Amino acid sequence: MTATIEVNGLRKRFGPAVALDGMTFVVRPGHVTGFVGPNGAGKSTTLRMIVGLDRPDAGTATIGGRHYAELTRPMRHVGALLDPHALHPARTGRNHLMWLAASQDLPGSRVDEVLALTGLADVGRRAAGGYSLGMRQRLGVAAALLGDPPVLLLDEPFNGLDPAGIVWMRDLLRELAAEDRSVLVSSHLMSELQDMAGHVVVVGQGRVIAAADVNDLVGEYASLETAYLELTAGAGGIR
Amino acid sequence: MRAALRAEWAKLRTGPAGLAVPLLLAGLLAAAGAALGDRAIDPVQLRLLGVRLAQAAVAAAGVHLLAGEYGTGLIRTTLLAVPRRLHLLTAKAALLTAGVVPVAVLGVGVAVATLPPGAAMLRAAAGSVVYLILIGLLGLGTAAVVRSSAVATGIVLALLYLMPMILRMVPDDDWQRALYRLTPATAVQTLATTVDTAALPMGPWAALGVVAAWSAGALALGALTLCRRDA
Repeated sequence: MTATIEVNGLRKRFGPAVALDGMTFVVRPGHVTGFVGPNGAGKSTTLRMIVGLDRPDAGTATIGGRHYAELTRPMRHVGALLDPHALHPARTGRNHLMWLAASQDLPGSRVDEVLALTGLADVGRRAAGGYSLGMRQRLGVAAALLGDPPVLLLDEPFNGLDPAGIVWMRDLLRELAAEDRSVLVSSHLMSELQDMAGHVVVVGQGRVIAAADVNDLVGEYASLETAYLELTAGAGGIR
Repeated sequence: MRAALRAEWAKLRTGPAGLAVPLLLAGLLAAAGAALGDRAIDPVQLRLLGVRLAQAAVAAAGVHLLAGEYGTGLIRTTLLAVPRRLHLLTAKAALLTAGVVPVAVLGVGVAVATLPPGAAMLRAAAGSVVYLILIGLLGLGTAAVVRSSAVATGIVLALLYLMPMILRMVPDDDWQRALYRLTPATAVQTLATTVDTAALPMGPWAALGVVAAWSAGALALGALTLCRRDA
């Protein structure tokens, strides 16, 4: 099960603020897993820890039992869209993918494949600094898919997408999960997740409040949105 | 490690000419010494004055190579591609050195080319080339510690140019002399001198040792902070 993400007892303080307070969950392949919770609940920090950008004070986050930093050519194991702005604005979108491909020992032809897949073939030779947020999200997805990884992490990938883009993203993520990948998607769009996700991890105040199948939650609460609001009622947001 | 080098090289190839501009400037500044003629007690030292300007450009190149990524946010993508941070820093140091060497050799070479060759001149020229490499690494190490182009450049330029002035404020003469020996400014002057070397505060090896210590210190501290901190 190389595609399983295991988050185990992650703790992290930023100064006086507790960001993660024993965050623990497992993401399995085969369906989209929604990662939801109020702003400041620790979703982004958790995602950043899975790929080693942030260091936990305690706990572990592993992919198929290994730490991200231990992976050789890590983008072939895990594709991550965490920050659509993490690029050099003067480099073209295509060249942004070209250096990433070179770093993972991938052929340049793969770059054109993911550009086509994400609908960026026409703008690939433009400087990425001129991209709209929606285009940057697509470029981020292109980068995440570059290594054809069995694990995908996406932090609010719907932000900035137009309605057609949202439909595209939803279908793409569903398709990727159907190919037996682990797909962990943080989002505030409960209706999108209800349609798309098989499983959902609800977090608040740095730990998991509930982890359940979407169908079960919808059965119990009528909709994912209602379930979310009920479950996170006491969890507040940014304190 | 090879993956990190490949990533850094590919970034340079595909990117805006970030490193080429300061390095080219460094070469030109070093080479400009050729225009200073030879009417001096120590013509080699005179010709090598350009190195003291070139060091600012080389330091800027070192700073830019890492701090530039923090400025744009690119660093977070870089660390996804190359999560081993020590590998990343080593690859950047190797690439920077590979860029500085030809520029420094050419620039310094042009500066002293028309002077009569000799062991002292060769020693001064080679010492200046090594000095420039070390100053580039000092810039890179400092950038790893402070992660901001402006702050890192300020620190390195202050160390290179302002330290001797600041040290004049030290009241005790012995202390002042001792501290003055530890500045890169003393080192670059020592390295370039070919006449009356007995009067210098230290030999060329000691001078290179001083600069190497600054660079190694900055790189070590940079490696430590890079590995420990959140990106």
